[in-house]
Amino acid sequence: MANYFNTLPLREQLAELAKCRFMHTAEFADGVDALKGKKLVVIGCGAQGLNQGLNLRDSGLDVSYALRPEAIAQKRQSWKNATENGFTVGTYEELIPTADLVLNLTPDKQHSAVVTAVMPLMKKDACLSYSHGFNIVEEGMKIREDLTVIMVAPKCPGSEVRAEYVRGFGVPTLIAVHEDNDPKGEGLALAKAYAVGTGGHKAGVLMSSFIAEVKSDLMGEQTILCGMLQTGSILCFDKMVEEGIDAGYASRLIQYGWETVTEALKYGGVTNMLDRLSNPAKIKAFDLAEELKQIMRPLYNKHQDDIISGHFSKTMMEDWANDDKNLLQWRADTAETNFEKTPAGDVEISEQEFFDNGILMVAMVKAGVELAFETMTAAGIIAESAYYESLHETPLIANTIARKKLYEMNATISDTAEYGCYLYNHACVPLLADFMKCIKTDVIGKGLSLEDNGVDNARLIQVNAALRSHPVEAVGSVLRGYMADMKKIV
Amino acid sequence: MNAPTRLGPIQLTKATVNFDDRFTLSEIDWTITPDQHWVITGTNGAGKSALAAVLVGVGEITAGSVAGLPARVGLVSFEAQAELIAKELKKDDADIMDVISLGTPVHEMIFEHCQDHELAQALVEKFGLSKLLDRAFRKLSTGETRKVMLIRALANKPDMLILDEPFDGLDADTLAMLQAHLASIVDSVPMVMVLNRFDEMPDFITHIAYLDKDTSDPKNPNQGRLKLTVDKSDQAAFNELYQLLHLKSTDLTVPGTDPSNKLPALDPSQPLVRLKDATIKYGDTVIVNKLNWTIERGQHWQLSGPNGSGKTGVLSLITGDHPQCYTNDIFVFGFQRGKGESIWQIKQFIGYVSTALQWEYRVSTSCRNVIISGFHDSIGMYTKSSDNQKKIADQWLDLLGMKSRADQPFNKLSYGDQRLLLIARAMVKHPPLLILDEPCLGLDDMNRQLVLALIGKICQGSETTVLYVNHHAEDRILGIERYLKLEKND
Repeated sequence: MANYFNTLPLREQLAELAKCRFMHTAEFADGVDALKGKKLVVIGCGAQGLNQGLNLRDSGLDVSYALRPEAIAQKRQSWKNATENGFTVGTYEELIPTADLVLNLTPDKQHSAVVTAVMPLMKKDACLSYSHGFNIVEEGMKIREDLTVIMVAPKCPGSEVRAEYVRGFGVPTLIAVHEDNDPKGEGLALAKAYAVGTGGHKAGVLMSSFIAEVKSDLMGEQTILCGMLQTGSILCFDKMVEEGIDAGYASRLIQYGWETVTEALKYGGVTNMLDRLSNPAKIKAFDLAEELKQIMRPLYNKHQDDIISGHFSKTMMEDWANDDKNLLQWRADTAETNFEKTPAGDVEISEQEFFDNGILMVAMVKAGVELAFETMTAAGIIAESAYYESLHETPLIANTIARKKLYEMNATISDTAEYGCYLYNHACVPLLADFMKCIKTDVIGKGLSLEDNGVDNARLIQVNAALRSHPVEAVGSVLRGYMADMKKIV
Repeated sequence: MNAPTRLGPIQLTKATVNFDDRFTLSEIDWTITPDQHWVITGTNGAGKSALAAVLVGVGEITAGSVAGLPARVGLVSFEAQAELIAKELKKDDADIMDVISLGTPVHEMIFEHCQDHELAQALVEKFGLSKLLDRAFRKLSTGETRKVMLIRALANKPDMLILDEPFDGLDADTLAMLQAHLASIVDSVPMVMVLNRFDEMPDFITHIAYLDKDTSDPKNPNQGRLKLTVDKSDQAAFNELYQLLHLKSTDLTVPGTDPSNKLPALDPSQPLVRLKDATIKYGDTVIVNKLNWTIERGQHWQLSGPNGSGKTGVLSLITGDHPQCYTNDIFVFGFQRGKGESIWQIKQFIGYVSTALQWEYRVSTSCRNVIISGFHDSIGMYTKSSDNQKKIADQWLDLLGMKSRADQPFNKLSYGDQRLLLIARAMVKHPPLLILDEPCLGLDDMNRQLVLALIGKICQGSETTVLYVNHHAEDRILGIERYLKLEKND
């Protein structure tokens, strides 16, 4: 199999990368009609598989689960999940040939094997759906010509996909049709009906392409989402301990700090996150972020270039083929970092204190979000995609660190994200060595100790204007606005 | 038995206590000596639970003083119960791990950090929880969760027991058992109980604290005051208090419904609900076994049964919230379940209140919107409401005496006030089927009378069929003549 993206002419590559538009509610007027009376078979009964299935069934669709014979024979958790919820369960051989739509909700790494096993069993003219396009775009899987291939990807964890549906709402969802596999031109109608079935149309649907989804998703997860937070955690912790701050306090400040500061990011973008700081601290964070952006920009460019050229997925798949040697070694190394080994101390840190004593962390998030966004859009990815894959998802990873710290965070994110995080961290720690030498506890650990909070008017105006005029803020306020319109009334 | 030596008197002197700016107890003067057992009572929203929480050290003391708080307190309350459930949900890593997590098992909830294993073991048996020890805590029914909370508190060798509505949600046998147990330990531990039902006051109670809303400042309605304390041996004072608590509720008119919210017509020759051999089971454990039940239009039913007999399960088969509704033979509102209908087509015919719903209603929206959300069967509001719907919601708020709080956030209200709003939400659209699963939990005597009177009114009308679940024999409703009692499957 060859990298699919690289087989396309530049003109088509650019057109595919730039695909992303926020769909209008009226486009979902047909509801689930396109899937009514059809047979939906889900492969994979983890949190996404189970919860999407529950929603689709509650929307009046016919859903069953195809599992491997071992999972059925040994009554594994996936079998229990499906049967306890009253779904029909069967083997691939039993169920796939009857399916009009096969929903592949297994982890990325299994896609090649799963799709290879499933494809010959699928009936003529059926539809295969993905929730992530790596297998198609990077691994270059060729799907039988008569089959329609679509992607429907709720941009939230499985448990939320269900919880929001039960409330009468949904989660933002990305849909796409694989242009090479849309023989009857019904891909979009099927993807829309699927999105309605999970409740996604109530929270907003982005129409994108397989390529835009993969290239932006990879970039976001390996730089700002996982890479930056991992690197920042290790650097900030070691610095605080070196400066004599209690290790338990430092550990807590970092473990829960990312979650707290990115919560502000989620609600009101980078601007709101910095607005939570005092004026002198805001200016400090702004200056640190500018310096960080200058140092890290070449690294972000390299990541994006390697993703676009396919170099990244090639090296990663080589490591997969080599029993994950690099990855597992790195995972073991992460477990040995001082931050990982120091439990969060039994001290109380107020919500505001996470900002006041974590100025450098705020600066790192700002620098990472903006760099990822800028690099993606410079590579031809449209702003909406870039926003979702950078700013929008950062709080999710921060939340994972708060609950699990780094080692488990890496073990739980996808293999592609973890491998990217590994590459990023290896390059970024030495890159920031000189920068970190000049860092003191005023920006990480203790906060500014100032007599008064006075600042120069002109400087503050300049900083506020720069914050508010960044392109990620423009697209962010529009997209958050759509969400809020739909979610919160009055 | 040894009198507790660790505890001196608890002394509140002109204490004003602020709870996150959402509620204030003003100028409380109160002394509890170790030989006393108190009941805190009063109107909904007057701060009964808040006053109990002060004894656990919750709230910020902004004036006066609080001295002599016990070091180890055994606490049981709906708030603590909800918090524990929320904690369990937070621990659920399903969202990030893409696996379905089962949560903490009951035995761990009970025996971890337990001070008195022997007592805990004995209580587990008395409460009939032995078979549930391996079940996940959050999978328990409301009553079962309550029992776990009680065991944790009792077996913790507390210096003081604080029991906020300990009897609510318990079946008659358990109630008697608990009252007997409490009576047997009166000499070893002082108790403070919050009770909404004055009639449930155990004989060993020596003192009563009566709270009322403080209406002196119209701009700040969320204030409570300790109106009087009564020594139970003082018969005259006691009688006065009893009368105070049985004030008559005003003449009732149920607000009308919204004509634009018209439901599809139901076939009058068909029953509303028909369950045929309905069975609910988890793994090999059968909760409900082959239940046959038909609910005809205009037939009001009362459903009862001990904790864990599957009452809530049966109701959720009808509402469609139970996944096993798809594996049973269920006919509701003209739909044979599992034939392509959506869950919203079912829910439009139902108004519903339960403790589980209250736990799930964790969204920040206004009190008015909570009532209006009943028109949309949603938790939270995701569509615009009409002026007429707002008008109707305001009529309900008026009826509940909550007019001044229309725009206040729902999640800042007391448990009892939240409950009142959810009852209004269930009734607002005059649904063909109104399901009230222990609706009076957490309500004070006055509001309980109000709600029972409302239900009675609705039963007399012709639009709505009522399905009522209750443990309390005295909460009988005029017009309900059919009874179904579920037995526990052992």
